[in-house]
Amino acid sequence: MQTTPISPYVVEVEGLTKRFGERTVVRKVDLRVPRGSAFGYLGPNGAGKTTLIRMLLGLTPASSGQMRMLGLPVPERRAEALARVGAIVEEPRFHGHLTGRENLQIVAAARGPEAAARIDASLEQVGLAARAGDRVKTYSLGMKQRLGIARCLLADPELLILDEPMNGLDPAGIQEFREFVRAFVEDGRTIVLSSHLLDEVEKTCDHVAIVDGGTVVAQGSIAELRGEGHVVFVETDDPQRARGILANAPAVERVVDDGRVLAVSMLDLAGVSDLNRRLVEAGISVRRLEPQQASLEQRFLEITTRLENAA
Amino acid sequence: MTTLALPTPRLVSADVLKLRKNRSLAAVTAVLTVGAVAITVAIMELLHVANPAKHGAAGGVTNLGHVAFLIAALGTAAAAIVGSRVGAGDKDAGVYRDLVVTGRSRVALYLSRIPAGFAFLLPFVAGAYAVEAVSAVVFAGSKPVPDTRLLVLTGLWTVLEVAFFYLLSVAIAALLGSRSYAIGVVLAFRLAISPIVASISALGIVRELMPGVALQALAPSALGDSVRQGPAIAMSTGAVAAVLLVWAVVAVAVAGRRDVTRDA
Repeated sequence: MQTTPISPYVVEVEGLTKRFGERTVVRKVDLRVPRGSAFGYLGPNGAGKTTLIRMLLGLTPASSGQMRMLGLPVPERRAEALARVGAIVEEPRFHGHLTGRENLQIVAAARGPEAAARIDASLEQVGLAARAGDRVKTYSLGMKQRLGIARCLLADPELLILDEPMNGLDPAGIQEFREFVRAFVEDGRTIVLSSHLLDEVEKTCDHVAIVDGGTVVAQGSIAELRGEGHVVFVETDDPQRARGILANAPAVERVVDDGRVLAVSMLDLAGVSDLNRRLVEAGISVRRLEPQQASLEQRFLEITTRLENAA
Repeated sequence: MTTLALPTPRLVSADVLKLRKNRSLAAVTAVLTVGAVAITVAIMELLHVANPAKHGAAGGVTNLGHVAFLIAALGTAAAAIVGSRVGAGDKDAGVYRDLVVTGRSRVALYLSRIPAGFAFLLPFVAGAYAVEAVSAVVFAGSKPVPDTRLLVLTGLWTVLEVAFFYLLSVAIAALLGSRSYAIGVVLAFRLAISPIVASISALGIVRELMPGVALQALAPSALGDSVRQGPAIAMSTGAVAAVLLVWAVVAVAVAGRRDVTRDA
């Protein structure tokens, strides 16, 4: 029976740096992945996403910094931690001359007899049971992605680390993948998913870290990063009176009038119902009361543009 | 987790599976070993039957030596192909990192591949030699028939030669991380560099440090020049063992160190 130090975070990274000669690919990254979350590690190509994953998994050593996985320090207790981690790094690769099942047998042999006992269930779970006896060189890219996930499931993982897992999946495959992620997370497990596809991360994950130029520039829940709850748009039949009333509400920080819509900066989203009550009591008809929903893409562009300007 | 640091029978079996299910590898290995011997013996015997006055029988002690030399040479080519597959096959296929992220120690992953390759290669070499040993006796005709001791010694020498170059191939492939380069290096070393160095008498005792020279010194003397490539250089059995052991241990250890420490 393995015991794991209880930590609210399955991955904790502090000051992690990776240099290749003079080039710094990952620069003093601090990262915390909450247990039971679908965590998106988001950034453009070449941002250092894969390098960070490779360091976590012990595929390449870090130049400096501290890492913990499942509460265990790595690389010191890497073997213990990885026994409960499944990972796909870059695209999933296999021995093409072997069948899907044989490829899983090879990894199961490295993991142990419990993993071998999970081969059938893993193939079933990713919908490859019927093609398990075919050689992998006959598989499509999408099928290889599924087989890669089946290979991860052999570990009965508490943590799945997937590098660009939606590459090669068709729309139906992407939908199935999202459902898989939700079910996995609902089971109390954690997924770290690196991607450059903002839209997919937004739809699949509940937490995200944005990385650019080897540095994590923002991290938090998707809602936090989108800035939800801070700004509420209000449309009424009397904007001028409404502006005065709203400006005096306790939860309101500031009101901006563009002539038609009031943009109300709130200290706390819980005060939105109070805004509605105050306006109705003043006899003002409220046509629209809507929290701002910036897309992750907008926030990502804002953050990266700000960094570029600062540089 | 110390259990993860050692290769297990399950891990070795998985490595054998990778080799066994590779049809082209099995076919090439079979052709270079059993196939080559069977064809050689068949041609020699057919020539003998067609014209006994011109062509001697396919068996006998001398032909045992000739075909043993053939097995050693072509077996080395097979060993280079299999060994390089063993040493760098997972990396070439891109699956090495997937094995590393299981948490299994890289030392165990490296060490499990070596016996797996032996388990795949040696039956082919043994099969080839079995064909030769039987033909050497059955088709001896009027020639001297090899006795049991000579057959055993020749068989062991043949297997040792192939096994040594297999180990060297595994090590070079693991070191370079490339199958094709490893095959080229091993074949160049075995077929060109080693004989050339052996023929430079000015090098004196330095020549004895070459594994090819040591292996030839170990060949059964009854086979005479039939298994020799280059000049005969006498060495004691202890010296031969020391040369081969140092080469094998250093090559496997250096390559293992590189395999374990490089980026996966």
